[in-house]
Amino acid sequence: MAYTLDIFRFDQATDEVPHRDRVEITELPETATVLDALEHAKAEIDGTITFRRSCRSAICGSCSMNINGTTGLACKTPVRTVLKSDRSIAIDPMPNFQPMRDLVVHMDPFWDKYTRLKPYLQPKDRDEDHERERRVSPEDMKKLVAVANCVMCATCYALCPVVSVDPAFAGPAAIAYAYRFIEDVRDGKRKERAAQISDDYLWLCAHCYACSYCPKHVDPHDDIIAVKRATIEEGITNAAGPRHALVVAKTIKATGMLHETEVIQGTVGRFNIIGLIKVAPFGIRLALAGKIPPLFLKPVPKVDEIRTIFDTLEAPTL
Amino acid sequence: MTATLDKPVIKGKSKSAQMRKYGFFPGCVAKESCKELFNSTMLLADRLGIELVELTAASCCGASVLNDTNRDVARVLNARTYAQAEALGLDDVITICSTCTGHMRAANKELLEDEGHMSQANAILGKFGAKYEGNVMVRHLLWLLIDDIGLDELKKMVVNPLNGLKVAAFYGCHIIRPESVNGWESARNPHSLEDLIVALGGEAIDYAGRTRCCGFHVQLEKDGIAANMVGQNMRMAKDNGAEAVLTPCPLCHLALDGYQADSVQRWGRTDLPIFHLPQLVALALGVDPSTLGMNKHINSPGLVLQQHDLAPAHVA
Repeated sequence: MAYTLDIFRFDQATDEVPHRDRVEITELPETATVLDALEHAKAEIDGTITFRRSCRSAICGSCSMNINGTTGLACKTPVRTVLKSDRSIAIDPMPNFQPMRDLVVHMDPFWDKYTRLKPYLQPKDRDEDHERERRVSPEDMKKLVAVANCVMCATCYALCPVVSVDPAFAGPAAIAYAYRFIEDVRDGKRKERAAQISDDYLWLCAHCYACSYCPKHVDPHDDIIAVKRATIEEGITNAAGPRHALVVAKTIKATGMLHETEVIQGTVGRFNIIGLIKVAPFGIRLALAGKIPPLFLKPVPKVDEIRTIFDTLEAPTL
Repeated sequence: MTATLDKPVIKGKSKSAQMRKYGFFPGCVAKESCKELFNSTMLLADRLGIELVELTAASCCGASVLNDTNRDVARVLNARTYAQAEALGLDDVITICSTCTGHMRAANKELLEDEGHMSQANAILGKFGAKYEGNVMVRHLLWLLIDDIGLDELKKMVVNPLNGLKVAAFYGCHIIRPESVNGWESARNPHSLEDLIVALGGEAIDYAGRTRCCGFHVQLEKDGIAANMVGQNMRMAKDNGAEAVLTPCPLCHLALDGYQADSVQRWGRTDLPIFHLPQLVALALGVDPSTLGMNKHINSPGLVLQQHDLAPAHVA
């Protein structure tokens, strides 16, 4: 099978701008992965092509890169599944990171956000009994199995559209790790962890599910939602994110509908004059176009049924 | 029951599709700030000869936000909506919003795959005499157009072809991701909107932003975040030659239409008009453009419609 690797080339030590090299591959079997092709290119054609790799079997998490525009592990991506119609494959470093050399990027922001979580167990009874085994029931362990598969390849971080416009956002992997300790029955720092991850812009997650492309099926989006619930349970609600979630719940309980105008006021804060001025241009623009969402909403028929659902489940609202 | 989870394999399999009579869940935004979406959907349904029976007592789907406060409430609210559709003899619920599609399907998947969830929901629904039997399928209008009407049939119905109008598709996350919930087409490389644009006589523009996020769900969480995401995506569309954007999601519509003006500083002027899915289809199918509410858009599509002889500028 013959094809061309179209590779991003850049060396921060010598290059001002990146360029691309095209490398012809002719000798590899049909079953080759993108990583096989890169290793072949490096060994046989151009020894300066630089990329991270180690295990070749989706365990070490080193070889995440952009392959034809989507990020994933090169060792887990068969060449035949990504060949473009012109029999080429574009290979680029992960987006949302600064390139260092060729496909190797500076991972520091990713690790910094992980380190800030204090990603180790801080048991409740730490000082009382060092020797005792801390047992976890299978039921409690179930919640942590998926996130334990995370290999920190940073694919989710590279795919995250929020990180791409605001590098302050913790990103999916760090929040999944926060979940891993917040939901661990042995850990004693639930509230501190919830506060920490809230400060790292937990609530900037845009619910886009781009992290559902996780090559290890950790699927951080469900963990992110669980961490948001944990912050509300811990009473960390004085921020736009939790206020937004709670006022949405309030309006649905009251009217059956998500009441747009009340949600905006409730999220920004009715008396937050500066905040309201900042959202005003958007509202004025809508109004000028003739789009005026109702200030008052008539409840949907049988709204009592909706209230019964909220009350039975003891669902929190603002 | 399995038909609910998978793409309806056989065309017209649902009872609703055979009767051409569907349950209709317009969602909150189409009833509040994007009424033109609701109205143009009804006009399109009329033109297609299908009946959309609005589930008037339905609640909000949870809009992805309700899960942030409680794990069960959105699922049970949606079970209530499905019970209403079943009571009307309708097994196919059509949405016109990507977020409604994704979250109603996710709730349905949980109900159908987990007996505990189904019995929890029915225990609460029983308090007011309702029950969900598990026979409802949730689909977007886009899927109905392609599966039940068909692109070939639509092509035949076109009386006002788009004359090569260059349209960039913008899917909206929740109609494609997660694939385990939606799965109707590839999440990484969907092509239904592009197929539709071509069938209507337009030219589909390819760009990386088409499957990305509009930022709507975090517009209030931090200043400028949604505007930035909108600007990034619209820049890509514009640079690849788009004259307009087509979206099946009113939340994307609000963000894309409303925030381009705020993203000028970082991303430059884009000024792309944004069409709701049924507006553009209805226009090509010969519905009077002045009835489609295109004058309610911030970025007026008037000029591009006039340039392509699709409508006089003043109607939009």
